[in-house]
Amino acid sequence: MNYKEHKQILLTLYITILMMTVTIFTFGQTTINPDTVCANATGEQYFVTNTPTSTYNWTITGGGILQTGQTTNAITVDWGGVMGLWVNAVEVIESNAAGCPGAPILLDVFVLALSGNGIGPFCPGDPTTTLVGNPIGGTWSGTGVVSNAFQPTSAGIGNYVLTYSLAGCNTTINVVVNGGPITGPIQHF
Amino acid sequence: MKRLLLILCLFFSLTVSSQCVSNQSVWLNPVGPYVVGQVVTVNYTLGTFTQLNLNWIIAFQINLGAGWTNLQPLITPSNPGGSVGFWMWDTQNTFPSGLNFGPGWRFINTGTANWGTGSIGPFVMRFRVTVAPTCTPNSLSISMNVIGDCLTGGWNNGTCCTDPAYNIYNGVVQIPPIITTNINHY
Repeated sequence: MNYKEHKQILLTLYITILMMTVTIFTFGQTTINPDTVCANATGEQYFVTNTPTSTYNWTITGGGILQTGQTTNAITVDWGGVMGLWVNAVEVIESNAAGCPGAPILLDVFVLALSGNGIGPFCPGDPTTTLVGNPIGGTWSGTGVVSNAFQPTSAGIGNYVLTYSLAGCNTTINVVVNGGPITGPIQHF
Repeated sequence: MKRLLLILCLFFSLTVSSQCVSNQSVWLNPVGPYVVGQVVTVNYTLGTFTQLNLNWIIAFQINLGAGWTNLQPLITPSNPGGSVGFWMWDTQNTFPSGLNFGPGWRFINTGTANWGTGSIGPFVMRFRVTVAPTCTPNSLSISMNVIGDCLTGGWNNGTCCTDPAYNIYNGVVQIPPIITTNINHY
């Protein structure tokens, strides 16, 4: 197995985890580790069960910035744009009324940044072009998109925004299908 | 003959072990274990103080583990049939023998300085202690030393009393575990 294949397997593994996360998102809160967030996501809410007499000290790393809620059981975080798995990116230490700290509770965070290949401009009769998203494993949608490929013919002339989605994150690309020249009838001088 | 042997046995028993203290009892309210901030009342009674070599009782020293704070006297020891004087609450005192005392009660003999009281008891006293704020299970031991005036240098007539400290309570501060749930993401 060469380096490229190894990297591909790791990426597939991450995608599987991301999909599991998305499934849990669908049914409510998640405690799965690692957590997944979209690059540059804002206002992401994290919490632990509240003990009214306790205080909570949160620490955020991995490009995130704690926005609200320090010392309480619930916070909001704005995440950065650097993709990767950030180990122990969210940490909380609960202290009881006597000021005694408990054990740190940790959560790894995978920051997911999506990108798509630029394609076009097209002419109406151009052949179907495969859409490529990174990381792989996501889904393309939009006018003229069929099976993760763009069909200029079915889209027709116009400007389109195509969306690539993976694990609850989205990114878009713009695609143009230009009209052909309008040629008049052949005339005989 | 039996009677003589019994008296001799009693004499050697007292002489060899030098025990002056007997019939001690105690109750605590509430009973342990204890958590931070809890206030505990200790009622201690010394039934009899045997005046070995005419040692007279002169002090009750309270020994507290590191987990306690705010020791307060509530009921001063009684002095039934004792010498002229009074029991004084003191946090620290160095007796003529150099014995470092405190905290507890010590008898001030207003007739003869540095003598204890001629009372043999019973002595009843009460004090209150509080569990100090802490994050570690500090010791909450409580014991009582009964001290005769032979040890303090007020009287010298042979062997002094060598009674061990009376154990009142053994335990540590109960620290409730802090259980934090996993971090959830909405």
